[in-house]
This record gives sequence, structure tokens and C-alpha cells, in this order.
Amino acid sequence: LTTPRHPIVGVTGIGAVSAFGWGIEPLWAGLSAGQTAIGDFDRFDHGEYSTHLAAQVPKRETPETTGRSTPRGTCLAERFALAATREALRMAGLGEDLSTARAGVFFSSSTGGMFEAEQYYLALRAGQRPDLRLIVTHTVAVPGDTVARHFRVTGPVETTSSACASGALAVESALDAVRRGDVAVAIAGGSDSLCRTTFGGFNALRAVAEDPCVPFRQQRTGLSLGEGAGVLVIEALDAARARGREPLAVLAGAGSSSDAHHMTAPDPLGHGAARAMEKALEDAGMDVAEVDFVNAHGTGTPLNDLAEWQAMSRVFGERASRLPLTSTKASIGHLLGSAGSIEAVATILCLWHRAVHPCAGPGETDPLTPVDLVRHQPRRLEDPCRALSLNLGFGGCNGALVLTGQSRGH
Amino acid sequence: VPDGVVITGLGTLGAPGAGHRLLAADLVAGRQRATRIEPTSESPAAAFASQVPALDLSRWVPVGPARRMSRPSRFAVAAGVMALESAGLEVGSGGPALAVSMASTFGPLSYTQRLLDQIRDEGPCAASPALFTECVVNAPVSQVSIVVGAGGPCTTISGREAGPLLATGRGCTDLAEGRASTALVGACDEVTALQFDVLSRLGALAQAGSDGVIEARPFDRRRRGFLLAEGATMLVLEGESLAERRGANPIARIRAWGSAFDPTATRAGWGRGSALLARELGDCLGRAGISRAEVGLIVSGASGARSGDWLEARTLHQAWRDLALPPVVAPKAVTGEYGGGFLAAAILALQGGIAIHPDFELDPEVGLCPRSLDQPPQGCVLVTSLASGGAASWIVLERP
Repeated sequence: LTTPRHPIVGVTGIGAVSAFGWGIEPLWAGLSAGQTAIGDFDRFDHGEYSTHLAAQVPKRETPETTGRSTPRGTCLAERFALAATREALRMAGLGEDLSTARAGVFFSSSTGGMFEAEQYYLALRAGQRPDLRLIVTHTVAVPGDTVARHFRVTGPVETTSSACASGALAVESALDAVRRGDVAVAIAGGSDSLCRTTFGGFNALRAVAEDPCVPFRQQRTGLSLGEGAGVLVIEALDAARARGREPLAVLAGAGSSSDAHHMTAPDPLGHGAARAMEKALEDAGMDVAEVDFVNAHGTGTPLNDLAEWQAMSRVFGERASRLPLTSTKASIGHLLGSAGSIEAVATILCLWHRAVHPCAGPGETDPLTPVDLVRHQPRRLEDPCRALSLNLGFGGCNGALVLTGQSRGH
Repeated sequence: VPDGVVITGLGTLGAPGAGHRLLAADLVAGRQRATRIEPTSESPAAAFASQVPALDLSRWVPVGPARRMSRPSRFAVAAGVMALESAGLEVGSGGPALAVSMASTFGPLSYTQRLLDQIRDEGPCAASPALFTECVVNAPVSQVSIVVGAGGPCTTISGREAGPLLATGRGCTDLAEGRASTALVGACDEVTALQFDVLSRLGALAQAGSDGVIEARPFDRRRRGFLLAEGATMLVLEGESLAERRGANPIARIRAWGSAFDPTATRAGWGRGSALLARELGDCLGRAGISRAEVGLIVSGASGARSGDWLEARTLHQAWRDLALPPVVAPKAVTGEYGGGFLAAAILALQGGIAIHPDFELDPEVGLCPRSLDQPPQGCVLVTSLASGGAASWIVLERP
């Protein structure tokens, strides 16, 4: 399933924090039931904003989810990142001290500690002298760096911040590092929290829906913002098996591109997004006919879904309208820089459970985007199953991942 | 990359102005340029930093789109176009084979601040969409991609002080993996009064001396912090055979790149993990088949940060163990921290010409005295960057 020049790379652990709760169990329970966790939220006062819904992570924090040694002043995005990474490492059968594991961290974030930095700035504006701990988590590198420090990683650590494609690009970078042998274990993930800047900004763009987002539906009016983290533990398949671990899925390929078109609007013809998908499939050594389903970027904005349909039509031809398609964002909102990672986790859960989760929400599929949208019930998958997860970001950044399921014998 | 990676173009924009010749002249003279930051009601104190002066960038940045760009975006586009021009490549013809990878530590901070001000003062409904689209950290790299027509991978890396070298490594990887045949890599950042205020409260910044010069003194016993800087630097990377085929004149060859992490670091400071960083640096050189004896110059990312410079010196001493360290230069005394000036200085170091502060005082705990560089160095040039928060990155250059 991979090109001969590369070793096969597997995903041996996954972790998630989402508006459904802390962990992959609540995530899959919500996704497979076709529910949405988008609703009222109280992270900050949104009374004066034009929309009032988001997918906020529930406040059920315990030492078990964040770790007893979580330092004071840890921002929300760091907490999400630590909890998701701990879950993924446990599933992979790896301990919490990776100092001898030749490990690296390849993270993504769009907001880092922006929510806390806003509190700093607003207090400063009010003439106060705010606590510096609110601002030192400001940079987007903070969640990934904190994961590296906490789990004592000594290898490469980098944070990608390429808007909504960041998560997929971070996974691509991790895949590179494992294939090259730079690291034996790669923690690939992303973490973001809700904040006033992104909520206000997307509202200013009139891109936020007043109701929970409904990707690819005729009545879609915009996206819903979310928060949380998704983390994957990635290893060479042989190395994982040598330590007695079968992967949950194979990370077969990745591809990325740029539209070079516009800062906010995607290329309406989908050239860039198509190129990212084609590169990912080529990297995986896979034919388009072998893809069993697509986890689309599917924000629910009129322009995004239309451009994504155009891109899929370019890649899959007439099969584009028969290829099962879902969007995780309809359930947990748009996690921005960490969307690609948590959607990769959701895709792996689909492959593991042999079922494509439904795309939550009401309404008929838009005739202008005539995809085979999985609705109401999960869609069964047959062995072997293969998926493509796509993310498109501000500024025309695109990232695509190809994942394949492991046979049930494992 | 099978046939090696060469740097064929350099564009830089900083306090000296636009273009690498102005920076090179400052490096030769050891001349630092700090100007007063425009104070704000939130940050009213007198503050100085290495800031980009008012420049006409219309030669490099299209006038119409420039009106909708933040300062970091304009810096990045100008440096990117400069780099392509210096490489003899046509701007706008990049296509899918051109990748762009940039580092930014803070992103377009001033736009984020203005957006928050609008939300607070005029209500969320009055917030400007134009401000928001330029708030995102990847706005500069995307603006570069749009202006130069780069359809390949488009990546923004945040690795704080290690970011510029990490972005360079990402560009090398894009070439190695066949995702692009040419990569624009670099860094950009802007200075704001709020950022100065925060870094000042954290005790990270050097103070101005009686002559108004910011006393950033890398490795010096009296060092108290770094000079805050802004600007952008972009490099053009190509496979060596491609560059040769099109008759390019490479400025440098990249022999190796690598990165590591020191988990003993604090969130906003440096750790004490010199032994592991030295081991990782040794591995980076070893994987590329470079012996320590081949390294004729170290361009250090030491900035004047108290613990950062200590860690840098300890790492180098431990990496070289029984061998004498090659000459070390520390250009951040001139370029300041952030904004990509250091990356440009590292490339310019291949030509020689970096001066040090004339009254350097050795710190016995550091045990490292940077030198002035009058002549082009012999052998390879190791460029190092250890970041607050724990990230570390290196590249090794040589003259082609």
C-alpha cells in the first residue's frame, strides 16, 4: 500500500478531546450516533456576537485526564493536548517518558493560548497589571512544546500553523520523519481552544452558521467553531510489530499544496485541493478507485463545500457522486489548526469500526454538490477499507491523508 | 536530496533597509540599529527595537494587494520576491513545483490586537474581516504563495528562535521528498509595543545603554537579554543539478539539517539539557558524514539571553569535547532576535565580515568568546539556534 521507497507506517495509538468529552470513546459514541455537540457555550460572553453556537469541550477535568504534574497556568490548548497525547500513548503501549524512544512531536495549532492571551490583553486595557502566565502561552508552538516537555521527547519538535490544513500537514511531517528514520515514534496532533479572536473573526466574515453547521446540505449557511485536540502515535509497522503492537490503521500517504488564489476563498475550481489529494494517493501508491470513503473538510460554508466538490470531481471523476462522504465537523465543529488531526482520528475510528460515521444534521444534499453523503446511520465498510481525509485552509493551504484499515484478524 | 540542496537566492528586509548589502555592511561594522517603538496606551513606556524603517516596497509588493496586507505579510512578500529575483527566477511562474515554508513566532500581532480592540470598542459586529484574515499566523506565507504563484506545499512553522532553521529544514524535506523542485524558505515577524512590554516584563530584553544602543551582548559576562527585531528573510532552495542546468549561481550548499528538543526547558526559557543537545548535534553532523574538524565556523544563535547563551555555549563545548571549537560568530548582536535577520546573516557569513562588540568581557561560566570574521571561513559553517521553550535546530552550510 505504500511506494516501495518507504517503509510502511502505522498508527498505533489515538487520543482525542472534543465537545463530546475527554477521550475517543465519547467521540466515537457521538460520531457514530450522528449527534452534534454544537450548542450553547460559555467560554466567553458571546451576547453581542451575531451567532451563539460552538462545540465547547465539557468541563470534566480530572487529574487522570490532564496529569498530576500539569503545571500551573497551563492554557486550555495545552490541557487538551496533554490529555489526548496521554490517551494515544497508552493505547500505543508506550510510557510517559519517551526520552529513550527516539521520539518527535509534530503538532499543529491555529490559536495556541490565544484565549488566555485575550484575557491578558483585555485586563491590560482595563488598566490592570495582568498575570504574565496568561500571555506566555500565546504562541502557537506552546501545545506541541508542552507535549514534548511533559513526555520528555528529545527528537525533532515542530509546530505547523497553516490555518485549517495545519493538522494534516503536521501528520504529513510526522510521516516524513518516521519514513526517513529520523524518529522511531512520532506524536502527531493538534490542539486549539475557542477564543474571541476566531469567533469574532469568522463572524466578521459572515462564515458562522446560526444553527449547527450542515456540510454539503442545500440550506448550509456557514461553519460552527469547535475546540479540542486529536493525537496520533505513528511508528514504522515493522517496529511496532517487533514490540508486539498491531496498528489501528496504516498511514499510507500524504499530500499538500497551495491554491495560490485568495486569502479566504478557496479556488472555486478546486485545483489546489485536487492536487493535494492526487499527491496523497500517489504517495500511497493507490489508485482513486481503491478509496472507499472520504472524510471531507466539509465546513458547511457555501464556498468551501462547492470548491471541495469540484476538487473531488477532478480526482474521482464520475465516481465522486457515488463515493461515501462524511464531515466530522458537523458533529464537533471546526477545530481550525487541529481539525486535520482530530479528523484523522475520526477517520481511523471509522476504519477500525468498519463504519463511516454519519454527517450529522438535517437537510437534503445540495444538488450543486451531489456527493453520497452518509446520513442518519453509519455506512458499513468491507475489508480492506481505505479512506482519504482532506483539509483546506485560509490562504489556500491544502493537506490530504490516505489511511487504510487493518484486517479484522488483528 | 540525491544531488544536494543549494541556496540560489536571498532576500532580506530589516532595520538596515531592503536587500542584503545593507545588512552585510552593518555586520561588517558591527552596527546595530534600534529605533523607538511607537508607544500605545497599553504600553506607554519608552521602548527601542530593531525596526524596519518606512520603505517603498512597491518594487516587490503589488500596490493593490499590499493595502490589504499586514506588515509581516508585506515584509515576507518583499523578501520572497527579492529572493526569487536574486536567484534569476521569474516571479509568478512558480506553479506546483514551488513550495513555500516560513517561520513566524508571533504572527501578525498588530492586526490581532486591532481586531480585539474593534470587538471591544465597537462591538463584534463592527469587526473588520480584513483584519481577521491577516491575523492568522500563516497569512504572510499565503500572501507570498499568492503573489509568486506557488502551488506547492505552503507551510508556516512556529518554533520560536529555532523556527527559521526549522523552516529551512522543511524546505529541504519538500525537495527531498519530490514535493517541489524549488522552495522559498525563511522567516518574518513584526515588533509591537505590546510584545515589547510582555518580553520586557519577562526580563528577556536587553536595555539601552547611555548612548542609546541596545546592549545585546551574546556570550558576554554582562549580557542581560536580546534586541527585539522585525523584518523578513527568504532563501531560494533548489536541487543542485537543477540549479546547474539553468545556470544559477548558488550562494551556498546545505550539507545537513537537523533538530532536537530539550525537555528540561521551561515554557518561556531555556533548560540545561546541553548533553542531550550536544549528542543530537553530533548525530546531525554524523548522519551527513561531516566531522567536527570540517566545521570551520559556527554562526551561533546566541542573542544575549542569559540562560540561552549559557546553554548554547555548553552544548557547543560538549559537542566538540576534546577538539578546540572553531571560531564562533554571534550576529544577533547586530540583527536582533526574530524577523529573519539571523538567517540572512548566517548566509552572509560565508562571505566573511561580521564584527563583535569591541569591549567583550568573557563570562567564565560560558567560556566562549565570539570572534570577528574578516575573511570567508574555511570548511563548513554550522548554524545553530536553540529556542526558548526547548526547540533546537541546526543547518550546515558550505560554499559551493
